[in-house]
Amino acid sequence: MAGADLIGQSVIRPDAHDKVTGGRGYPVNVSMPRMLHAKLLRSPYAHARVLSVDTSEAEKLPGVKAVLTAADVPQIPFSPVFFCPVESKSLVRDMLILSDRVRFAGQPVAAVAATSEVIAEKALELIDVEYEELPVVFDPEEAMQEGAVQLHETAANNVAKNPAFEFGDVEAGFAEADHIFEGVYQTQRVHTCYMEPRVCVVDCDRAGQFTVNSSMQHIFGLREKLAYALGIPQGRVTVIKPPYIGGGFGGKLDLGYIEPIAALLSERTGRPVRIEQTRYEDFITTARHAIKVYLKTGVKNDGTITAREAKSILDTGAHATHGAEVIMVHGLFGVVFPYRCANKKWEGFTVYTNNMIGGGYRGYGCPQGCFAVESQIDEICEELDLDPIEFRLKNAYQKGDPHPFNPNWSLNSYGYAEALEQGAERIGWNQRNPAGSSPGVKKRGIGVGTQGIWVSGCMGFPDILEHTGAIIKLNPDGTADLASGSVDLGAGQNTVLCQIAAAEIGLEAGQVRMSYADTNTVPFDAPIHASRGTYSSGLAVQTAAAEVKKRVLEIASFMMETDPEELDISSGQVHAKGSPETGIPITAVIDIAESPFIVDTEEGPGPSSPPDLKGTIMGTSSMAPPENPSPATALFVEVEVDTDTGVVDVLRCVYAHDLGRVINPNAAEGQVEGGMQQGIGYALMENLVFDQETGACLAGDFLDYKMPTAVEMPRSIESIFIETIEPTGPFGAKSLAEQCVTVPAAAIAAAVYNAVGVRIKDLPITPEKVLRALGKLD
Amino acid sequence: MKQLITLNINGEENEISISPDATLLQVLRNELELQGTKRGCDTSACGCCTVHMDGKAVYSCVIYAMAAQGKEITTIEGLGGNGQLDPLQDAFIQAGAVQCGYCTCGMIMSARQLLDDVKNPDEEQIRHAIAGNLCRCTGYTKIVDAIKMAADS
Repeated sequence: MAGADLIGQSVIRPDAHDKVTGGRGYPVNVSMPRMLHAKLLRSPYAHARVLSVDTSEAEKLPGVKAVLTAADVPQIPFSPVFFCPVESKSLVRDMLILSDRVRFAGQPVAAVAATSEVIAEKALELIDVEYEELPVVFDPEEAMQEGAVQLHETAANNVAKNPAFEFGDVEAGFAEADHIFEGVYQTQRVHTCYMEPRVCVVDCDRAGQFTVNSSMQHIFGLREKLAYALGIPQGRVTVIKPPYIGGGFGGKLDLGYIEPIAALLSERTGRPVRIEQTRYEDFITTARHAIKVYLKTGVKNDGTITAREAKSILDTGAHATHGAEVIMVHGLFGVVFPYRCANKKWEGFTVYTNNMIGGGYRGYGCPQGCFAVESQIDEICEELDLDPIEFRLKNAYQKGDPHPFNPNWSLNSYGYAEALEQGAERIGWNQRNPAGSSPGVKKRGIGVGTQGIWVSGCMGFPDILEHTGAIIKLNPDGTADLASGSVDLGAGQNTVLCQIAAAEIGLEAGQVRMSYADTNTVPFDAPIHASRGTYSSGLAVQTAAAEVKKRVLEIASFMMETDPEELDISSGQVHAKGSPETGIPITAVIDIAESPFIVDTEEGPGPSSPPDLKGTIMGTSSMAPPENPSPATALFVEVEVDTDTGVVDVLRCVYAHDLGRVINPNAAEGQVEGGMQQGIGYALMENLVFDQETGACLAGDFLDYKMPTAVEMPRSIESIFIETIEPTGPFGAKSLAEQCVTVPAAAIAAAVYNAVGVRIKDLPITPEKVLRALGKLD
Repeated sequence: MKQLITLNINGEENEISISPDATLLQVLRNELELQGTKRGCDTSACGCCTVHMDGKAVYSCVIYAMAAQGKEITTIEGLGGNGQLDPLQDAFIQAGAVQCGYCTCGMIMSARQLLDDVKNPDEEQIRHAIAGNLCRCTGYTKIVDAIKMAADS
């Protein structure tokens, strides 16, 4: 299988063999000669002033090579978020590497580098910190009150960001409505649970050049933010792209404390410094934000939405970081965009509290909005006796409509209706029983959750970087090396990008290899996030590959004495169009390009080709994608609720998704199946709980933070891929990664209602909440 | 104070000097550079560090290396042989059961014990056998498929 026929094939991952035999490429495996190990001393207090830090005893411990406190580090306020330029208006620069003010329990106050982790840990115990405890606030709505404890001088009432949008005339829209529905929907803090911890090795050489290995989703963002926080030019930082990392899911999309601290310790000691976070440290490093949504919707008797008004309170924790951006994505894509309605109003609040800092997580604010919007639609349909599918189709955007974000773009491929209809048919929607009518102790129910407008990257969004690039080079043996800054988080970027390159050039799948890259050698690449890998990086790879193909055909046309327009490449063979069995191997073409200009033969020395055909055959690209096409999704779930125990079991998921075109079906299914695991965890069990008096994390390991195992997962997860062929996408592809995590909570909540007739509006839907709603608990 | 011990890993005797409180996981990764065994937590909860000790799948993060003396330890590097993959390794590749891959080696070690104990496990036996191995990428679907595939081969 080669060339365009490769698209739609379940090509085997190029990195799978390595991963099943040990997996050498993870940043956690990076080790260097004379490497030191560092540990961070973290504050036990959620809010405090650091009055003094005495490190003298720690420094005396044999094996300790350096100790850092706030006094030793640059005091340059920064935002760690990778995907916007650090000084952009959208970001809030409110963090320091180490500070004399602590705003959450677990914030680092000092660091030690030693010859072993054990010695570094012992040294931490010898550091004497004097704190002055300050009053705390953990509830964002309390934090917004006049007179509340202030976390940052720059944010009155602790509001770090306060975006608002208004379209049409909301008052008139509500006046027009026959019914008005109001509800409050609360989501919890959850962790992405990447399995490879955050870890870095930073080496500062004698010239002051920093080389960084880190388990991150973006090499260029890491370079920029690290350089900024250290107050040095970006040219002094080289970030090496790992062959792959052990998961990210949005949780490795910002500069950690560990990278700048390791850099400074390395600079001070002249030795490489490694920091590997414990699982507890990872749990308090990043999380999906808890958001409370107040949602009001006006509808006519026939189900037409006439007005929608919403307010969202986002708990961003001690620093704004991602909370400054998540609130926008949440408001627009989670609340405002999904359904057509002329009259809409939304206001969001990113609120500082003494909780841990929130982070990125698949869906980036959309799951919280989707849970509110889709749950309320289910309530509306139940109350007005409308079919939830017809209701959605009536109010949804349709193919050809202008894109709600940018009216200059149209939804030129948009399979929302197909996703709903095909999913409904597969699950047997028409056989759904009325709510609570299932007999027996264990009651079954079916629910649906959808997400209309979403993204394929961030093209067009204020302050967000989107351009990306690739370099592809042909080797003498007919294989190709692809170098790109796109990090494979596990979702299969290495597979899909190589597949796209091979398809475009006309090679076999295994003939393109994802090669080494670092920030010095490849063009800028936006992070792997925002469902952008296949569409945006895919387009850059396709463009570079097209350049390779063009050059091959130019040279081949000289060799075959044919017009290049008449030629094509398949299975590594250059041939006349329509005659793949004829022609010459691509290696012969490469040989012409790579051979000396003058070749000595039996007939004597002579030119092997005209000089303008010499030179390595390669293609490069660095470009922004033309648009930002929207995928569309509908998830149908069947659940069983045990009315004696309150336990909700998800039996079956039918997930229908318009992704434009499937590049690799097996990898695409894998994305969906994993998305269901995260979505089911979010809906039913995961909750990063904190002590409400001290702010200490109470769920800092996998024993207390419960996520679905193989036993809790449904036995049946069915993916239906709707191929609408996006005209701007690589081979028609759009995106897949995030919506499958966005919709499960709403679908499961609706199915629980259908099963037992009670509606849970705050996640997770625990057995306790179900029993309480059923009136079985006091 | 370090101590000299001998560990039998993948059929080879290794004489190493270790701290008495070092875990088997730490010794495998840091002293012997067998990095296929991963650390995902520190509390015997994620399963990334699963190895075999005398044929039983165990979490190497909660076993002192001292306690592994005289035992036969097998890590992912010791599966298969003569350049051949274990059928489970091959099935994981073919089924698309590997995404980020960080859990994969531990997952395969747990599945290996299951297939050593039960010739043709049903889906529930498979799911329970890997319930101590967390995966965040795959939803376990293709992992279960791979174990079935290996059992059938």
